[in-house]
Amino acid sequence: MTEVDVRQKVLAANAAAANGLRARFLETGTLVVNLISSPGSGKTTLLEATARALRERLRLGGLDGDIATDRDAERLRQAGIPARQILTGGACHLDARQVESALAEEGERLSGLDVLFIENVGNLICPTSYDLGEDFKVALLSVTEGDDKPFKYPAIFARAAVTLVTKADLLPHVDFDLAAVTDQVAALNPGGRLLVVSARTGEGMDAWFGLISAERSRKRNARFAACVV
Amino acid sequence: MHELGLALEIHRIARQAADERDGGPLEFVTVAVGDLAAVEPQLLEFAWRAVVDGTPDAGADLKVEWRPARQVCASCGEVSERAPGSWMRLCPRCEEPLAVTGGDDLDVLRVAFAGPAAAAGGAFR
Repeated sequence: MTEVDVRQKVLAANAAAANGLRARFLETGTLVVNLISSPGSGKTTLLEATARALRERLRLGGLDGDIATDRDAERLRQAGIPARQILTGGACHLDARQVESALAEEGERLSGLDVLFIENVGNLICPTSYDLGEDFKVALLSVTEGDDKPFKYPAIFARAAVTLVTKADLLPHVDFDLAAVTDQVAALNPGGRLLVVSARTGEGMDAWFGLISAERSRKRNARFAACVV
Repeated sequence: MHELGLALEIHRIARQAADERDGGPLEFVTVAVGDLAAVEPQLLEFAWRAVVDGTPDAGADLKVEWRPARQVCASCGEVSERAPGSWMRLCPRCEEPLAVTGGDDLDVLRVAFAGPAAAAGGAFR
């Protein structure tokens, strides 16, 4: 028997594809945001509101991962931005190669964007492990899901640069301890940001739009810096 | 249930390591799985069986080395006490919030395979 040290990342092939995407997004100055949450927490609704608020100022686009139907991409197109559905046919997450081929097939329509939103398959667990070449992950937690979720699904809340507590307009109707969630997220992810929003009433949404605009400017400046170097 | 995709990838990496050395069937593969890797070791081992069954590597075991995430207090350093099934929120000494770091391992560490008979000796110096 022969025994050898390998020491290779299991997801090395995904990481290589993600790094390729990241280099491309840096070249075009495209900010890429990977949205992860359980089904029904409001990813598409958030993006619809974001599209309507920012589409005049920024070139936005969306990739929507789902097991079935192209409903989400259609909703984003109705909100006035180009969007492409990625059907995983049962897989519980998007991987970098799927993003690569979806972008290749869309060609011009999704290239050179200011901001690309990747709406992952609704799942708080599996998508966390797959780098898609994004600048940062955003975790959504709707108030109807319960205030114990960050500690129950620590991987995503530890890795998401931004946590959005969504459906804040329902706070008066549910037992959701916002302070407890803030504490849990702070413990898992001391550098992370937490915003409380309602896409329905607009509460807190300006802070979200401001964050996207600021990160987009930062990405564009990084692109100029990369060109100078 | 992304463990199946991971098991396929682990098998591909292990097979490649063996093939590069003219190795035969796999004997075992050791992987590191971290607390934050979002991988359930038992499901991974179950998926591994599904991947190797019916192949020459059917007898190969998957050995999982668990890598805990570290709890770090800004003042007291690493905290080894654990809350049942999870992390502690506050440092048991100074009550400051704890940061959770590391634990994102998901690596193939070692691969063992049959042969090749000549591997142990015969190399020219």
